[in-house]
Amino acid sequence: MRFLTDKPAVEPASVLYRRCTVDLKNGDMQMGEVPCLNLEDVLGGFGRSFQLLEKREICDAYVDENPLIVNVGLLTGSHVMTGMRTYFSGYSPIKGSRKGLPAAMWSAGSGKFGAKLKWTGLDEIIFENRSDQPVYMVIREGNDGPVVELKPAVHLLGLTTHEKIMSLQKEYDDAHFAVIGPAGENWQNVYAGAVALSTENQLKSKEDKSRFAGRGGMGSLMGYKNVLALVAQSNDKLGSTPEPVKKANVNVIKGGGSARLQPIKRGGGGGTWAAYEVLQAFHAVPVNNFRPQGNDIPERLFRSRVEKSYEIKSEACYRCGITCHNNIYKRKEDGSAGEFLAKFDYEPLNLLGTNLGLHETEQAAALIHLCDNYGMDAITVGVTVAYVLSYNERHPQTPILNGITFGDFDGIRRLVELTGQGKAPEIGRGSMRLSVDLGETGYAYHVKGLELAAYQPETNPGYIWAIAGGHMSMGTYGMLAREGKTDTKSWVEAITQDKLQIVGFDMIGLCKFFDIVKGIGTAMVVDCLKAEHGVIVTEQELKDAVKRAFLRGMALEFRQGYDKDEFCLPAEVTESPNPNIKMPMLTTPEFLAELNEKVWEVFDREMQELL
Amino acid sequence: MKVAVKLYAVLRCGRFKEKFLDYPSGTTVGDVITDLKLPPEHVDILLVNDTHVDFEHLLEENDVLSLLPMVEGG
Repeated sequence: MRFLTDKPAVEPASVLYRRCTVDLKNGDMQMGEVPCLNLEDVLGGFGRSFQLLEKREICDAYVDENPLIVNVGLLTGSHVMTGMRTYFSGYSPIKGSRKGLPAAMWSAGSGKFGAKLKWTGLDEIIFENRSDQPVYMVIREGNDGPVVELKPAVHLLGLTTHEKIMSLQKEYDDAHFAVIGPAGENWQNVYAGAVALSTENQLKSKEDKSRFAGRGGMGSLMGYKNVLALVAQSNDKLGSTPEPVKKANVNVIKGGGSARLQPIKRGGGGGTWAAYEVLQAFHAVPVNNFRPQGNDIPERLFRSRVEKSYEIKSEACYRCGITCHNNIYKRKEDGSAGEFLAKFDYEPLNLLGTNLGLHETEQAAALIHLCDNYGMDAITVGVTVAYVLSYNERHPQTPILNGITFGDFDGIRRLVELTGQGKAPEIGRGSMRLSVDLGETGYAYHVKGLELAAYQPETNPGYIWAIAGGHMSMGTYGMLAREGKTDTKSWVEAITQDKLQIVGFDMIGLCKFFDIVKGIGTAMVVDCLKAEHGVIVTEQELKDAVKRAFLRGMALEFRQGYDKDEFCLPAEVTESPNPNIKMPMLTTPEFLAELNEKVWEVFDREMQELL
Repeated sequence: MKVAVKLYAVLRCGRFKEKFLDYPSGTTVGDVITDLKLPPEHVDILLVNDTHVDFEHLLEENDVLSLLPMVEGG
């Protein structure tokens, strides 16, 4: 980025970012500096990519005109803690309207690839068309700016995400990698391909500890384009941390904002895994396709149970003091950590464990491991498998997919393997398509074609308005449990004002755990931007830019054919209310009707000029 | 007065899961949190008899006070 102004909100055209546009059909590349259009363009991530996507008329995700945009945020690769994010944007193979049009989508991941990419001097890559041969891209820092090269990638075909990273590491020193797995290579039958991003820990330990840009099938789009990997090679560029950033970083760690995510031995809450115990107090941990039973079965995957037999190491992303990773290892006879099994985050653990009727540590770990190595979104795969299991429970005489049932680990594992290999399109294409084919859509736990994260929809009507996945683009998922609010006024305010601000993190290059409650419109972020880039931006300008970007995303949903009646929760939620969830019942038809009316009153007005 | 206190997740570490405790009348939820030396940054959800309350809520005989940390995704 080059700043010719210190007021990017007022003079965005005086901020230039460096973009490389690659025509994969003929290998042509155009490198250049692009002036920004507005503050969201300056911030980056989906704030920028969606402005390009809205200019394209795309009727199918797998067409040459659908670009894959890889970019970073303004604070990616900075001294600011969690500044590791890379964003992948395009029209999604998995999220789409009933009319059959693909939705614009982005996915974000940490790992060190984003920082390395930024340090090459490049802010954005746009992949146009598709290559007729498998290729990978190398981005290096050259004497006169970034140097980009496409290389044959036949030798990478068929390798898992981890194997690809290990293979490329042998060839490229001081580099980090973004790769797809076999799932993305089998894009025709797997719409839920993820992009794996290498971590320092992974490159040192040789264990499969990638981070993932999982949602929306951006790995499948990358596979369609025949781009198997990206290599960003540069020296690390971080010198001493500016004082204001140091202060912000200390505040993130010690100020209480991330305390709940830090390791228990450090006085923290133990990462997202702790959500199991909190939600179980309300019997709101998804069980057997989002039907909590009011019993103690989820407790079998509580941390306190798991740590009796396994070693849990608290580990972190590069230079991040939050240390939210809970990596599970087999325990050796001498009590030390043995084989690495998987990283336990709340969502994949639940959706590939309890929600499939699996309650053993190693079973859930094996499925997480498979999704990671095949390069698939654990949320989409887990929820779609759960749909199949519930279908078979309802139809014992006419089951599908070999009649697998809740708790049938061997059958489920085989199905996940086949999915990753492109041999189970029923799963690979997601729950929306499968449920339509089977004529039982009410039990498919998705909204607008994107599967729900592991929070009961009964507790989160905000899912309806999330633009890129329920828990990453609408921060209402814990609101009922935390605040117990049941009035429409509070929910309307949350959905239309405060909780959508979570998407700001998918613009600026920081992880949500930097300040998940307040978003990026804070004095802390203002100070960091000034210290890192010498720019003066107000908290309100940041909030306004986030709001505009969010509304642009929602307007794009309508442009891609969504009707308002597609903004809804799975029908089972209202048609067969679950009496076991110990929270106020929000999702009555009456409450939802009132909420719909009031939320649309706001969004319709605000979107007017965008539609 | 007797109050049943239930702790969840990390709040249990080095403490207890559920206990009946004696407090004088006029005790608030915040007083119990202070008494148990719970780290305030971890206490996020306060329930009395399954209803959300705030730190100033006055406890009554036989109340069930549940204290939970924040629910967080990623």
